[in-house]
Amino acid sequence: MNINVPHLHLLLNHIPTIGGAAAFVLLIIAFVRKSDDLKRIALEATYVVALFTFPAYLSGVGAQQTLLEMPDISQLFVDAHWTAALWTFVLMQLAGALSWLALWKWRRTSVWPTAMVGVVLVFSALSFATAARAASLGGEIRHPEIIVNAQAAAETGAVSEAAPDGGAPSQTDVPPEAEAGWLTGRGLGKAYMDRNWMWPASEALHFIGLWLILGVILLVNMRLMGFLRTAPYSAFHRLLPWAALGLTINVATGMMFVTGTPEQYGANISFLWKIVFLMVAGLNLLYITVFEGPWHHAEAGQDPPIRVKIAGATAIVSWLLVMYFGRMLPFLGNAF
Amino acid sequence: MDPFLESLQQSAFARFVGESGSLLGYPTVLFLHTLGLGTVAGVNAAVALRVLGFARNVPIEPLDRLFPIMWFGFIVSALSGLALLVTDPVTRLHQTVFYVKLLFVLLAVINMQMMRSRIFRGPAVSSGVLPANARTLAMASLFLWIGATTAGRLIAYI
Repeated sequence: MNINVPHLHLLLNHIPTIGGAAAFVLLIIAFVRKSDDLKRIALEATYVVALFTFPAYLSGVGAQQTLLEMPDISQLFVDAHWTAALWTFVLMQLAGALSWLALWKWRRTSVWPTAMVGVVLVFSALSFATAARAASLGGEIRHPEIIVNAQAAAETGAVSEAAPDGGAPSQTDVPPEAEAGWLTGRGLGKAYMDRNWMWPASEALHFIGLWLILGVILLVNMRLMGFLRTAPYSAFHRLLPWAALGLTINVATGMMFVTGTPEQYGANISFLWKIVFLMVAGLNLLYITVFEGPWHHAEAGQDPPIRVKIAGATAIVSWLLVMYFGRMLPFLGNAF
Repeated sequence: MDPFLESLQQSAFARFVGESGSLLGYPTVLFLHTLGLGTVAGVNAAVALRVLGFARNVPIEPLDRLFPIMWFGFIVSALSGLALLVTDPVTRLHQTVFYVKLLFVLLAVINMQMMRSRIFRGPAVSSGVLPANARTLAMASLFLWIGATTAGRLIAYI
């Protein structure tokens, strides 16, 4: 790569902030104008923004390691930004997951689950608020000119270096997100690693999620590739929430691995590829869930057109590559 | 120490898998083990969900064609598992959790084959009526694969 991880992070940051705000505004307009088409576009946009919040958040984990090696960077400000970013990530994923579920239901029934879409709106609004906070705190890491009381900020930096191990800072200008506690990024990671049964338990869950995703994706996409033609694709589509459940388990457990040991993932080439193929698999999942191609061109007995077959093959291959690069984390990269 | 296990562990094959450091050694074998388990447990779980009543519009009978895929996954998993075992047979064969895992896998595979003969090749399959114990077999397959996966993962820890 010609650009380094902190640079990539600065580019990708705009997706959850500006993209999330755009999707939120679209959904409000959809409600005001009672437009079903716009609702669909807004929910699809929310899902895509949630998907690209992965590289935005995870490139921050990588950037953090580069930054913390620099003498003029305050860990307290990095940690405050990390905490706001973590909660943005969580809220954005909740909005994205519910958007997906609403789109799945709408595809099957042609009716919007209004309460669910309303909850998406709430999570979107909350994630916009935390994203704005994360952006502001992220700016303060490197741009002291945006802090109102820059003098106090400089002193805070000095204090944090004097007491790097969580000694309670006395300055009132330290962002409250930096305070130790399990609701902070670093605090949550520490609480997770301090309980030594949690890592093996998460790994077991991560593997159960893996086979749930793989099994359902294989079966559903075999139909899109033209096998098992006696039933229409819509019948197989009913199983997709089980793959989504597996994905939910694996995102939750996977993010705990990253939060607990960020140093294993921040500069791990295998992890980069895993996330690249997760993006491909995630976009493909949106296509096979709501787009017209698979839904309308795999009726009972019908051999789907080539573009739908390619989508089915892409699903299987991209999930297998996510699995491959996950398995290679300790070998191509530096994870244990 | 058992001289047979020692000689296994010292064999050229075991040393290639366990100690060569080649990407085609331990990492690839471990990936194949994951691929195999993902295929056998995942596809078995997917058809179990159908038996439990999700995706009711998918007919049962054609799903019989998925069982060779499950068996393929099982064979890939078993062979790669054997390759992993010979890299450290003495430790593994003294771990209780290793035998717990094997027991879960054995029961899961027997259960899988029972699902095939009772449900997917049962006398009533073309009429769409499921046998009385179909739900029990389906629940058992989910439970047994969860047990096998958990015990398998714990081999690295206890």
